[in-house]
Amino acid sequence: MDAALALRGVDKSFGAQRAVAGLDLVVPQGETCGLIGPSGAGKSTTIRILMSILFPDAGAVEVLNQRSALEAKDRIGYLPEERGVYRKMRVGAFLDYLAGLKGVPPQQSQARARDLLSRLGLQDVEKKKCEDLSKGMLQRVQFVGCIVHQPELLILDEPFSGLDPVSVRLLKDVIAAERRRGTTILFSTHVMAQAEELCDRIVMIHKGRKVLDEPMAKLRRQYDTSRVLFEPLAPQSGDAEALRGTAGVARVSGNDSEYALHLEPGADPVNVMREAAGRVAPARVEVARLRLEDMFVGIVKGDAGESEEALRQHLQGLTAGEGR
Amino acid sequence: MISVKRVGLVARRDFLVTVSSKGFLFGVLMMPLILVVLITLVPKLLASAGAQMDVQVALIDGSGTLADALHAELDPAALAAARGAQTRASTEQLGAAGQQVAGAAAAALPAMPRFQLQVLPPDATEAGEKSWLTDEHLGKYQRRALVEVPAAAVERHGDVPFATYQLYAPRNLPQDAESTLHGAVRRALIAARLRATGVDPAIVRSATEIAPTQTTLVSAGGANHGGGQVLNRLLPFIMGFLMFMGVMMGGQALMMSTVEEKSSRVVEVLLAAVAPLEMMWGKLLGQLGVTMVSMGVYVALGVLALLQFAMFGLIDPLLILYLFLFFLMSYLVYGALMLTVGAAVNQIADAQSLNGPIIILLVLPYILSPIIGGQPDAPFAVIASFVPPVNAFAMMARLASSSPPPVWQVLLSLAASLVAACAAVWFAAKVFRIGLLMHGKPPGFGTLVRWARMS
Repeated sequence: MDAALALRGVDKSFGAQRAVAGLDLVVPQGETCGLIGPSGAGKSTTIRILMSILFPDAGAVEVLNQRSALEAKDRIGYLPEERGVYRKMRVGAFLDYLAGLKGVPPQQSQARARDLLSRLGLQDVEKKKCEDLSKGMLQRVQFVGCIVHQPELLILDEPFSGLDPVSVRLLKDVIAAERRRGTTILFSTHVMAQAEELCDRIVMIHKGRKVLDEPMAKLRRQYDTSRVLFEPLAPQSGDAEALRGTAGVARVSGNDSEYALHLEPGADPVNVMREAAGRVAPARVEVARLRLEDMFVGIVKGDAGESEEALRQHLQGLTAGEGR
Repeated sequence: MISVKRVGLVARRDFLVTVSSKGFLFGVLMMPLILVVLITLVPKLLASAGAQMDVQVALIDGSGTLADALHAELDPAALAAARGAQTRASTEQLGAAGQQVAGAAAAALPAMPRFQLQVLPPDATEAGEKSWLTDEHLGKYQRRALVEVPAAAVERHGDVPFATYQLYAPRNLPQDAESTLHGAVRRALIAARLRATGVDPAIVRSATEIAPTQTTLVSAGGANHGGGQVLNRLLPFIMGFLMFMGVMMGGQALMMSTVEEKSSRVVEVLLAAVAPLEMMWGKLLGQLGVTMVSMGVYVALGVLALLQFAMFGLIDPLLILYLFLFFLMSYLVYGALMLTVGAAVNQIADAQSLNGPIIILLVLPYILSPIIGGQPDAPFAVIASFVPPVNAFAMMARLASSSPPPVWQVLLSLAASLVAACAAVWFAAKVFRIGLLMHGKPPGFGTLVRWARMS
């Protein structure tokens, strides 16, 4: 499958600070790729290099078979991390303007914008001035602006940040529709659950370097054998105590709906699951999947002299909102 | 490769947003209207607002020969004749429009005060008359003044120069009454001095009075135009003002809109759709359109005014073409620099330190325009015509002067402006690309140069 975008050995420094270091990244056409990492990892810089807003100090960029995004701007949709609109402009005019810059004729752009606004719950805002909309509404308007020209490649920098759950759902639906249309999507996020839900591939970067690049399916199959998740069939007050008595369990955390059994070093999770199920009737019992945070810490621990605690602190934002 | 279509779209948006703003409509449509009102209506209103003053003038005449002459000079008819002569003299050089202007100027003058003269004994003093002068029980339109003329102001003894007179007046004596009184006393004194030497003042007056006339300018083509030097003196200033106003307006708008786009973060959205160079050219051209509209309106109004006063023939139509050419070059130089400043800073307040030197570079040639126009062939004027960025202003001032430069100098100046415009746009393009995404501490000029080299 052809690559929709590719970075090869890309370096970018700002003064003494190296923002991106020898980064290689290939996203095949039609794939949805999540670019994740803590703040300051180099995600936005990488995306700006892809968009030819910044230029690399070294390395090669290829976007939609062009040597630069400048040559394929009309085929790319980009939602930057820093949201911005012309505050005094009307929503419809603003979207027409963006679509016009992407080469869409006004008669087509108006119909498309109206349809997308409607799908994002913004039916009546076309005539309103941007300054009259809430932050979340503006974010959705901007999202419309980045897909109104039906791009082949969609680059979204933190698309869900600051949105309420309903808006997140509406946005996910539209992203899913774009995915079905065959659009290649690269998006950066702090929230693993969103990456899991939407991505075919995860690329993790830390201090400008790629530390993980795996298909989501493979990541889902990676388990944390030191933890067993247990959901009681009929929760009772003595469940935690009963589970704590299981051989090989060091401690139990969680509540009535789900417990995490933390195993002693060397304990066999299969045996633990079997015994726990005998003590309390389970609705669900499984070995915990490896958490992104643990994966990340495991990969970069000891790198540049950072302690595990410092790394976990650095990742505070990354795990926020994560499902488990 | 620059997309002309995208440049056009950016330019169109900037143009439409600006020309539909209240500020622009006020600036372009209301300002000329306000000027017309100020020039025509306000003087009339001011004149009609002032009621006629009654001024009692006391005279202490040491010579005993001045009273009759001063009485005659303070006669309303004599005062009106003196005022008319003065107005004609000051408007004489306006040529064909002179009479209309003189008429308008006369209409704008306040009502002539009425003077009543009373002669005091020669031994009276200002100190003795102080309470009369400062009487607080006078009517609203009543004033008093005291003129003290020593004998030596009329009679000369040997080589000793004539003495002068003193005018004493309370603080509330209107300025026009004061100056009218000074003029009448001076004319009366001259008449008295002439009489004292045996010369008839009427003969001197008729010998020194010359009917107003107009300067006739003779062009190489043989056509004669009634006109004068005032227009020649004003034109360099007017051209300088038009260029200054256009460049300042366009440059400031460029800077403000760029800062706004940067601070509202919309710039990154735009950069996903247009290349920085396309955006820069779009903005430059959009604002150029706006300033061209403004300049067009002002020039059209100026031409209409000249046609109204039958003075259009005094202006070479090529001057308007040169004005737009030199304006275009100046706009590109200053506009590109101000655009650079806008891209480099995060808020308007941060722009002051960077913008200051550019404004000085803009104001300086504007101030020098009338001076250069007054001495268009002076070495300084000629050298300034070739040194960007002041050369456009200097050359326009010379072109509008009474002694326009040869064509080769104009073309050389245009070429110098073109080189400067290319350099400024090149520099702006380099800094624009980097500055737009830079946030934090506002940069200095050194940083801008470093960005240009980095880019």
